[in-house]
Amino acid sequence: MEAAIAIKGLRKNYGAKEVLKGIDLEVSPGQIIGYIGPNGAGKSTTVKILTGIIQDYEGSVQVNGLDLRTQLLEVKKQIGYIPELAEIYDLLTPREYLMFVGRLHHLEDAVTELRATRMLDSFGLLPNMDQRMDSFSKGMKQKVLLTSGLLHNPSIVIMDEPLSGLDANAVILVKELLQVLKSEGKTIFYCSHMMDVVEKVSDRIVLINQGAIVANSTIADLRAAGSDSLEQIFARLTATENTNQRVSDIAAAMQQANSTASHE
Amino acid sequence: MNKLLLKLLLLPMGLYRSLGADEVQLRALLTVKLKMDDRKPLSTMNMGPKKKKPARFTSFWTAFVSFFTGIIYILPLLALRHEPVLGLWAYFTFFLFLLSFTLITDFSSVLLDTRDKYVVIPLPVDNRTLFLSRLLHILIYIIRIVLPMSLPGWIVMGLINWKLAVWFPLPLILLVCTSLFLVMLLYLLLLRLASPARFKNILNGFQIVLSILLFSSYYLVPQVMESARITDLKLAEVPWVKGFPTFWIAATGSWLLKAGPVAGALGYSLLAVALPAILFWVTVKWLAPGFMSRLASAEQGDEPTTVAAPQKNRRQTAPKKQRWAQWLNQSTEARAGFSLAWIQTGRSRSFRMRVLPTFAYVPVYFFYLLFLNKNASFQQVWEGLPHTARHIGLLYMGAFVLLQTLNYLIMSDQYKAAWVYFAMPLQQPGPVMAGAFKAVWVKYFLPFFLLITAFVVYVWGPAALWDVALALVNVTVFALSISVLMYRYLPFSKVEQMKERGGRFFKMLLIFVIPGALGVGHYLVWLAGFWWLKLTYLLVSSALLWLFWESYRGTSWQQLKTEVE
Repeated sequence: MEAAIAIKGLRKNYGAKEVLKGIDLEVSPGQIIGYIGPNGAGKSTTVKILTGIIQDYEGSVQVNGLDLRTQLLEVKKQIGYIPELAEIYDLLTPREYLMFVGRLHHLEDAVTELRATRMLDSFGLLPNMDQRMDSFSKGMKQKVLLTSGLLHNPSIVIMDEPLSGLDANAVILVKELLQVLKSEGKTIFYCSHMMDVVEKVSDRIVLINQGAIVANSTIADLRAAGSDSLEQIFARLTATENTNQRVSDIAAAMQQANSTASHE
Repeated sequence: MNKLLLKLLLLPMGLYRSLGADEVQLRALLTVKLKMDDRKPLSTMNMGPKKKKPARFTSFWTAFVSFFTGIIYILPLLALRHEPVLGLWAYFTFFLFLLSFTLITDFSSVLLDTRDKYVVIPLPVDNRTLFLSRLLHILIYIIRIVLPMSLPGWIVMGLINWKLAVWFPLPLILLVCTSLFLVMLLYLLLLRLASPARFKNILNGFQIVLSILLFSSYYLVPQVMESARITDLKLAEVPWVKGFPTFWIAATGSWLLKAGPVAGALGYSLLAVALPAILFWVTVKWLAPGFMSRLASAEQGDEPTTVAAPQKNRRQTAPKKQRWAQWLNQSTEARAGFSLAWIQTGRSRSFRMRVLPTFAYVPVYFFYLLFLNKNASFQQVWEGLPHTARHIGLLYMGAFVLLQTLNYLIMSDQYKAAWVYFAMPLQQPGPVMAGAFKAVWVKYFLPFFLLITAFVVYVWGPAALWDVALALVNVTVFALSISVLMYRYLPFSKVEQMKERGGRFFKMLLIFVIPGALGVGHYLVWLAGFWWLKLTYLLVSSALLWLFWESYRGTSWQQLKTEVE
């Protein structure tokens, strides 16, 4: 079967700094991939490349058999992107913003209206549909972004910390939504730091560290290597030093700061 | 430059401390703010080869325009050589007006910024420190404008009397402080008196009205002085000028004049020094406490957020903007750009603040030019109007409104939200930009132009409709050509740099010249009086319109300028 996402030798530099050092990855259709890694590992860069926001990279990326470099628009049509802590034109209402996004996706206004209304209703945002988003909480804005990413019924959904700011009920809703999307054959590229969620929803975990993939396997296979939770696997594969030692160092540093201040 | 100014401004730290500011925090806040100004925007989007204009160029341009404006101010100094105190008063008054105008229109947002409330409010930072940091932050940029602007005055004073040139920095400091502290005092008073929920709206209205008043008086004061035969004016004939702080400032230099100090010079000088000091003290000591929390609550008590009609009604009849969007745009991308621009420009306070006053500037400037001839009475000028070609000038001044609108159409504090365009399957950004262009053309420019047209037809008769049509096409061609050359940005995708601020007023003065030059061709055709010549001109302009429109609408990702990360 053709891979939904096929990445080969993906490299990206910011000046002298190499952020991605040759990523090779294949994602099958209908899979949920948990893409995890420590801060600065290159997760967001990968996502920005996949969504066409960054276009100068080395290597090849294919999405549903389409080449990202030469068939960018076709790729974008098939991808729904839900960014992390995204900026949004918050002087607009959700209805207006979604209408704007729908038009950029060439959706009929009536279709956008119908889909947006139903989705926002499910997120419990219907009463707020005609209110400006400048008074919205982070979670409310995140729900609008989730809706905007799914509005055009994409076959691949790329989520960068989609649960950021959501309350417990909304988190449950999104987790179940992921399963529904999966059952409809959609591929989900799920980027997050919330290990417990990633562990529960992902078919496969891809762990990236310092721009390279250090693990790519099912959670069961990773467990077989000897650790219990994904959090521990993560720590083992990415931490450079002992965490306990770091905690003691931080506590000691705080003490030191206090005593220095008291000497002055 | 900023670092040097910062060092200079932090010299009177003892004073700031005595007012209740925390030295370390004040220094830290200012350093960080200046550093952020230098680094904004953090990175550019890589959508193809790009050449970034060096930031130094904008600083140089602002300095140049400031210098140029400074040359205009020295006119009263020269005209009133026989009564130098009066000349100095006029010079300082112009200066004060201009500074206050710039402060209100360009720097209010810096003082009233609440974006860092989550960063600063949870920290143990005193309101006075916070307020002072903002005040000094603005002062740094004001000084950058004032220095080149005062240069011509400085030179002229040096030529008249070298002692005046030595004295000059003192009035300059007094002027800057007086205008800055006065504007801040007004804002803080308003913040105290108005309810938080209404503060921003009142402020917005207040800014718009005030900037119109200042702009009008800038043009009308010299007119009044002209009609009063300025060259023969004596101080004794205009005793009311002694009530102006700018006269007090002028009085501080009167000892250096040949005529000797004005009567009561010592008292006036003391007043000149005392006024900014008192304003500063009252502002920081009495009004600054509670400043940030009031601002934050003003932010929370924002305009009512519900804007829509009940849902059922919405679906039955699409809103006006939706209907316009459907009628005027073929592609869905253009409709998206159209609706976004239509809605966002109507709701953004900073857009309203920057664009709405320009509607008033056009008639003010028109009447200023109309009555420039001091030998004719109002009646004579009015009656002779239909026999002149003044309507052509008026029609072309409409370009000014369109240019201002287009300039602020691309700017937004939320420029990062423009990521959305890049994640969408857009073949090219041109159609979205074209849709947005149409929206502001229809929403802001066209009604204004129609009003001008009504006036023109009333005064010049229906025959002037030829000129209306030609001017409409030419102005649009002009705005489009500027857009193609300078504004190939997606709507609301550009951040406004601190150092670009402040030059607005001066740029406005200059920008009036350009449509004027465009109108010259039209005027020549009008002089020739052949209908077929007008028709040919109209056809040529229409062809140009089509060319520029196609170029703008066809903007590719490679041609696009962007500041999105």
